[in-house]
Amino acid sequence: MSARIAPTLRSMPLRLTLALVALFALVFLVTFSATYAISRNAIERSLNDSLVQEMAGFRAAPSAAALAALVRSQSTVTFPERKILSYLTPDGLIAGNAALLAEGEGFRVVVLDKARNPDAAAIDGEYYTLSERLQGGLMTIALSAAPIARLHETFVRVLIFALLPATAIALGAGLLLAGRSARRLAEIEATLDRLTAGDLAARVPALRGRADELSRIGARIDRMAVAQEQQMSALRRVSADIAHDLKTPLQRVVVLLNRLRETRGLPAAAGDLAEQTSAEAERIVAIFQALLQIAQIEGGSPRARFVEVDLGLLGATFAEVYAPTAEEAGGALHFTPPEGQITVEGDKTLLGQVIANLVENALRHTPPGTPVTLAVTREGGRAVLSVADAGPGIPEAERGNVLRRLYRLESSRTTQGSGLGLSLVAVIADLHGAELTLADNGPGLRVTLRFPPPRSARSSAPSDRST
Amino acid sequence: MKILVIEDDRTTGSYVAEGLREEGHVVDLVEDGRDGLIRASATPYDVLVVDRMLPGLDGLALVKTLRGALNQTPVLFLTSLGGVDDRIEGLRAGGDDYLVKPFAFGELSARIAALARRPQVAQEQTVLKAGDLTMDLLRRKVTRAGQEIDLLPREFTLLEHLLRRKGRVQTRTMLLEAVWDISFDPQTNVVETHISRLRAKVDKPFATELIHTVRGAGYRIEA
Repeated sequence: MSARIAPTLRSMPLRLTLALVALFALVFLVTFSATYAISRNAIERSLNDSLVQEMAGFRAAPSAAALAALVRSQSTVTFPERKILSYLTPDGLIAGNAALLAEGEGFRVVVLDKARNPDAAAIDGEYYTLSERLQGGLMTIALSAAPIARLHETFVRVLIFALLPATAIALGAGLLLAGRSARRLAEIEATLDRLTAGDLAARVPALRGRADELSRIGARIDRMAVAQEQQMSALRRVSADIAHDLKTPLQRVVVLLNRLRETRGLPAAAGDLAEQTSAEAERIVAIFQALLQIAQIEGGSPRARFVEVDLGLLGATFAEVYAPTAEEAGGALHFTPPEGQITVEGDKTLLGQVIANLVENALRHTPPGTPVTLAVTREGGRAVLSVADAGPGIPEAERGNVLRRLYRLESSRTTQGSGLGLSLVAVIADLHGAELTLADNGPGLRVTLRFPPPRSARSSAPSDRST
Repeated sequence: MKILVIEDDRTTGSYVAEGLREEGHVVDLVEDGRDGLIRASATPYDVLVVDRMLPGLDGLALVKTLRGALNQTPVLFLTSLGGVDDRIEGLRAGGDDYLVKPFAFGELSARIAALARRPQVAQEQTVLKAGDLTMDLLRRKVTRAGQEIDLLPREFTLLEHLLRRKGRVQTRTMLLEAVWDISFDPQTNVVETHISRLRAKVDKPFATELIHTVRGAGYRIEA
């Protein structure tokens, strides 16, 4: 669950919405609290003013007895839940509608409850009191703080019925909008992914709603994709034209050489020459074909065509196919099959060419009889293909160079080969997202392709990409 | 067989046409895509040989149009392009086979023969025969003159493929595609090696040869 929420929280529109709603709630709470404090203050002040005013009425009594009589008479018409009058006479008697014993003069806030005043059932809650020494006794007046409680209650109600629904509505609407823009962003992202993967026909789906930034970005991506597609098709047309223009005379050469070889009464030496020329023509074709293929793959061969390829099975096929050639050279081609099935997402023909080129290279650039090992293994969830030989190897400084097109080591100038085998391996590895390494096999060369982990494993593993 | 060759390069076109005529086929040669489409639609042919890049109308569009008009004549594409995508594109457009230039005539001839008789191959057949050789596909048993022959799985597949196409030439690349499922040409003699192993088991101990080498083309089983 948390894995699903985490990327959602990383969404910008959602974060903005949450921040906005939080800010709105905060501002509301601050103003609300301030209003409450001011209102409460005003009520408190008016309570205290009333206390002072009431006290002034009793101050006029000429004696303690008169005051006690006044308090008693007032008490009969005063409800103790609203107002409490209590006079402690100098001789220790209490006059009033309840007994309130203050510890001294001045304003106080006291909490009275039924437990402490079992005789006065109505007395309950907070009271604001004022005590003053009058005529040798202590006069205390208490006013119920019920207005403040009512204010509190009102504010809580307002909070519940106004703030919470407003926040919820804002949050809901925000999430809805954020979700919409997140969906549109996801569509744009998916389109970009497809474009990157070589599917140049991918377009951002028509976005509903107003022409905002997202639709504008979408339109621009589409324009870019169209331009790229046009460039691509122009490039394809050019390479097709070149191929056609070169292949046509090459085809003629092959045709003419065939006619020459079939000519009756041809001197043996001439036949040999024709034979050799045919072989050279074949080499030209091979080099040209490899160059064309590299250009096509680099020009965005669609990965959409990828299927699950059983790498172990492919390795076994090519081990079998090259076994006779290796034996002829007096060596042996060993194949280490994987434990269980190892599959990669890829193009079967191109992966086959990778294996073919690597094995051919190993057989060609090592002394006759050198053993070659082809292995398909698993390395921490990644499929690994490697071809190793015990030949002379490639000096470390040269390892980067041999991946370059038409580059050949000084030592292999005289051997067969187009100088394109490893370049083709490199572009095919790149197309498959595989990591290609050339290492010392001590002695010899070890070429390794590490394929990316399968997609199902990739999504559960922590990824550094924010897709 | 009646074959239409649509190829804009005159040297290649006439070489193909002459070669096929020498083999006894009736061949029409057209150099323009639009003319080719008109001919192919008007006349029933057994096989069409179509270059992919043609003036007038390119080969892909030509074959797509034909297939759209429910014309199912087998098509062999000739192409200068040999990429994986090109191959798939060609087969998707309705081509039945694909040959990359430059090609040897033997290869072309063998592939045309394979195309023309394609629908007649009985896939359900469980016993294949050639002379005194019998292959039981259900029991995976091969016998010749009553004598059982032990074959490795790949040798069995190779022999089965040749037997199913008895009398027709199968080239090296056709065998690589059918038996090893490899659609490019690795520089190896795996086909030759397997054929010679097969011969050692199937032909050598017996009086007559069943597996014949066709010079410059490939192999064929003929009783």
